[in-house]
Amino acid sequence: MVQNKLQQTPLPRLLLVSSGEEDPDNGSRLLAQLKLLSGLNACMVQIREKQLTALQLFVLAQKAREIKLPEGTLLLMNERTDIALACGLDGVHLPENAPPLDKLRLIGPQLLFGCSVHSVESARIAEESGADYLLFGPVFDTPSKRKYGAPQGLEKLGELCRKTTLPVFAIGGITPMNALTCLDEGAYGTAALTIFRESRGFIENIEKFNRILYP
Amino acid sequence: MIPAAPFLCVITDEAFCPVTMAEQALRGGAAMIQLRHKTASGAQLFAWAVAIRNLCKEYHALCIINDRLDIAMASQADGVHLGQNDLPAEAARKVLGKNSIIGVSASSAAEAIRAEKAGADYIGFGHIFPTTSKLKGFSPLGTKPLQESAALVSLPIIAIGGINLLNAASLISSGAAGVAVIAAVSRAVEPSRAAREILCAIKESQR
Repeated sequence: MVQNKLQQTPLPRLLLVSSGEEDPDNGSRLLAQLKLLSGLNACMVQIREKQLTALQLFVLAQKAREIKLPEGTLLLMNERTDIALACGLDGVHLPENAPPLDKLRLIGPQLLFGCSVHSVESARIAEESGADYLLFGPVFDTPSKRKYGAPQGLEKLGELCRKTTLPVFAIGGITPMNALTCLDEGAYGTAALTIFRESRGFIENIEKFNRILYP
Repeated sequence: MIPAAPFLCVITDEAFCPVTMAEQALRGGAAMIQLRHKTASGAQLFAWAVAIRNLCKEYHALCIINDRLDIAMASQADGVHLGQNDLPAEAARKVLGKNSIIGVSASSAAEAIRAEKAGADYIGFGHIFPTTSKLKGFSPLGTKPLQESAALVSLPIIAIGGINLLNAASLISSGAAGVAVIAAVSRAVEPSRAAREILCAIKESQR
C-alpha cells in the first residue's frame, strides 16, 4: 500500500469530488454528504466548486473542516493552495494548468499535492515536480466530459500506471461495477463525481466502492 | 512599504498582455502594479506574476496580485489585493505573514474601517467616477466618501474608478495617497506617457 509521505498513513483509495453545484444561498450538499461519512472508511474529498468566489470557498472549506470525519479522511481544495492553507485543509488538487507544483510545495510544505493528468507525459512532469498522487481520466464515458471527446479507456490507464511510481486514481464513469477493472490495470484507487450528485443512495454507493477497494 | 504619496498604481487590463502593460506603466513612473485577471489559468497567472515581479524589482516598484495569495507567494510578489469577495484580510494575513502587503477594496467608510481593523496595509477605495473597466453594481461614489474615509482611517487610500488625467489631482486633495488606473493607461495611444502625465498631475496637486 502506498504510504502518504506526509502523514505516514496509507492514502485512502476512494476520492470523492464535490458536485460543482454548490450554491451558498441554498444549503450545502457537500456539507450534508460529509456528515454522512462518519462510520465509513477514510476517503479523500476534493472541494471543486469553480463557480464560487474565493470568499465562498473559504467559508465552505472552513465549515467542512469543522465536521468530524473518519480518521485519515483528507480534505483537498481544488487549485487554490492559499485557501487550503487558510482553512487548514490537508492538501490541494491541481489541474494541468495550475501554477508549478515545486513552487507551491514551498508555500505549503505540509500539504498533500495531487495532479490531474491526461497523458503519460504530463504524469512524468507531475511526478518530477513532486506530486503525491495522480488523477487520470476520463477512463469511461461520462456526461460531464463528453465535450472533450472519447474516453481514454482502460488500456491507457494501464499504460500510465505502469509508467509512474505514484498512486493513480481513475476517474470518469467509474462505478462499483467497473472499479475492479481499473484496479486490475494498476490503479491505486478510484474517484467519482457524478455518482455522488444524488444524496439518495450516497452511503450505499460508498460502501459498494469500499468493498471493492478494500477487499 | 507603501510608496510615498502621491503615487500611481496601474492595474492590468484583461484586453492586453499584462507584462507589456506593466512595463509601459513602470516606464511612466507607476510605483505599484496590480496583476488582475479573472479568467487566466493558474499557470498563466504565475508566469505573468514572475515576469511583472522582476520588472517591478528593476523599477523599484511594488508587484501586487489580485485575489490569489498562492500566486503572490509562489512568484514572490510583494503582496495581494483583496476584493470584498476574496479571502478575508485576517485569514490572508495568517497565510502571508506580516511582511507581505495586503490591500483591501472598500466602497464605504465602514468597509475602510473594517479593512484597517482586519490588518490591511492599504485601502483601494472606489469606484469614485463612472468606469467602463469593471462591471459595478452601484453608482460612482464621488469624492465625498473618499474624504470621509481618509479622515477616519490612518491607512493609505488608493482611489480607483474612472480616474484620468483631468480628475486625478482632485483625489489627492480629497485625501488619497495614490490613484489606481486601468483604462487611462491601457487604452491610451502612448501608455507610458499617459502614466507619466497622470503622475505629474498628482504631484503637481501637492505643491
